[in-house]
Amino acid sequence: MTSATLSIATAPDRPRRNHELADVHHLASRMMVYLLAFTAVSVVGFPLFWMVLCSFKPGGELYATPPSFLPREWTLQNYRDLFVQTNFPTYFANSLIVAGGATVLSLVIGGLGAYSLSRFKFFGIAAFSNAALICYMLPEVLIVLPLYIYVVKLGLADTLIALIIANTAFTLPLALWFMRSYFNAIPVSLEESAMIDGCTRLQAMYKVTVPLALPGIISVGVFAFNHAWNEFLFALVFTSSERNKTLPLGLATWIGQDNIYSWGMLLAGAVLVTIPVVLFYLLVQRKLVVGLSDGGAKGE
Amino acid sequence: MADARAAMDGDRTLAYATLAPSFFLLVLLAAVPTVTVFATAMQDVGMGDMSGPYVGFENFAWALESQAFYTALWNTFVWVFGSVAIEMIFGLGLALLLNKTFLFRGVARAVILAPYLVPTVVAVLVWRYMFHDIVGIINAGLITVGVIDKPLLWLNSQSLAMTSVILVGVWKFFPFVVIALLGILQSIPQEQYEAAKIDGASGFQQFWRITLPYVMPVFLLTALLRTIWSFHKFEIIYLMTGGGPLDATTTLPILVYLKAFSDFEFGRGAAVAILTFTILIVFLGLYFLLIKRAEAHQ
Repeated sequence: MTSATLSIATAPDRPRRNHELADVHHLASRMMVYLLAFTAVSVVGFPLFWMVLCSFKPGGELYATPPSFLPREWTLQNYRDLFVQTNFPTYFANSLIVAGGATVLSLVIGGLGAYSLSRFKFFGIAAFSNAALICYMLPEVLIVLPLYIYVVKLGLADTLIALIIANTAFTLPLALWFMRSYFNAIPVSLEESAMIDGCTRLQAMYKVTVPLALPGIISVGVFAFNHAWNEFLFALVFTSSERNKTLPLGLATWIGQDNIYSWGMLLAGAVLVTIPVVLFYLLVQRKLVVGLSDGGAKGE
Repeated sequence: MADARAAMDGDRTLAYATLAPSFFLLVLLAAVPTVTVFATAMQDVGMGDMSGPYVGFENFAWALESQAFYTALWNTFVWVFGSVAIEMIFGLGLALLLNKTFLFRGVARAVILAPYLVPTVVAVLVWRYMFHDIVGIINAGLITVGVIDKPLLWLNSQSLAMTSVILVGVWKFFPFVVIALLGILQSIPQEQYEAAKIDGASGFQQFWRITLPYVMPVFLLTALLRTIWSFHKFEIIYLMTGGGPLDATTTLPILVYLKAFSDFEFGRGAAVAILTFTILIVFLGLYFLLIKRAEAHQ
């Protein structure tokens, strides 16, 4: 960018000199890019780097002032304590059940709904799509009050089922919108030829459309899983007993009590909670970036 | 697609049957609660059977006359505009940077997107550890450099708590802005820059005359979307400070939660929730207006 500024501003009469100057300036602006990139990566990346680093420090070093940068002694003690002394394994299992359940439900219910929105034409279809989008915009804190009242009245308080259903409702609108656009991209003629070959419409959907839309469906699944894996408010409001806590709620209850639970275990827990998220990210990296930027651009 | 759809038209039963589960789930879990929350707001609901005597608009009147509501409203505006403004500036800057080609760009992009992907509880945990007044790296670092001579109470002082929470919010959510803007930056036709260079436009002129106008619609939409989401953000503030110290970081969603689930005054909580939602509707209206205009342009 700036290389152009200078070469024009100085505008020397000998072309060769101009060339050299532009080269020097080009180099300077390249170095600037690297410097900025390095600074940005260091600042933005530091907290997570620090989390991983400190999770391997023994208790004494975690409370040392001033803190040591690299662990003087690397240890897995924090991870061991997490599994032996706390309910972390229970939380982890609960989170897997809630996130897994919500993902399957969103994909099945949302997939069927998206197919209908994509393939058929009927009264109220546009209104429904828009209403679904508005649902996605509803503040959780508005919905959580009446939902809590239902959950208590139905006797579902402090159950994982309540969390699965609530999470499904929150991911469903996006599942509908995204899967509809994936289905829209697949020509109907493919289904029609399958039907000529003797498939029913549902079979054609299951055997032709779904496999073709699979990459998109997987990224919706990852989104739904992530949402439920991270969800905190419903878990906080619906859950009361230790055995039904999900990971975010479990970790959150420890944060306030740093006298009892050491920071070491908390940081180790944080690392373990992040791992599934990172794995999923690597799985759908390209899809995710494209999907999110589409969402930003079109509001889908 | 409209023609193709018409071709498949006819199997009405299947059309409704496949849509029905989505429809009922959204009605039961989003539409009905949105309506019944009004009923709750008009009752004096306490614990127990979750219903109480009808009190009309008393809960709304309470909210509009209470200092707590206005403090929360002010805090919400500080939180929303503080964090969105910083997110947009840094987001645009980093999107421009990541749009350039350099070695390890993929790594840089992954690191910069990471905060958006980690669970909020993880972000809060590591930042609370770093902000810790005694063992935290931030105080230790600032003391070593000589900026401060004794530890600051980042999260426990009235004056610093909101700034600290905004800082964490920006770190967690600015990557969304980067992703959204990077997408649009990459779609700018390169010929426009080539032509501008031939005409002798400087780097700044190219940015001002080509990049910025091209990016602006998406920039505004992203800012509005971030505003809406920040407006009803609950867990990051709740987990960082619980709304404290005192009410220094109590935003409207936090007030709703504290009223309903800490004071067990569901009616008042619901009233505050509805007032919050009313303000949000203005932003939602703007958002849909912008989308419609953007669609009309395409």
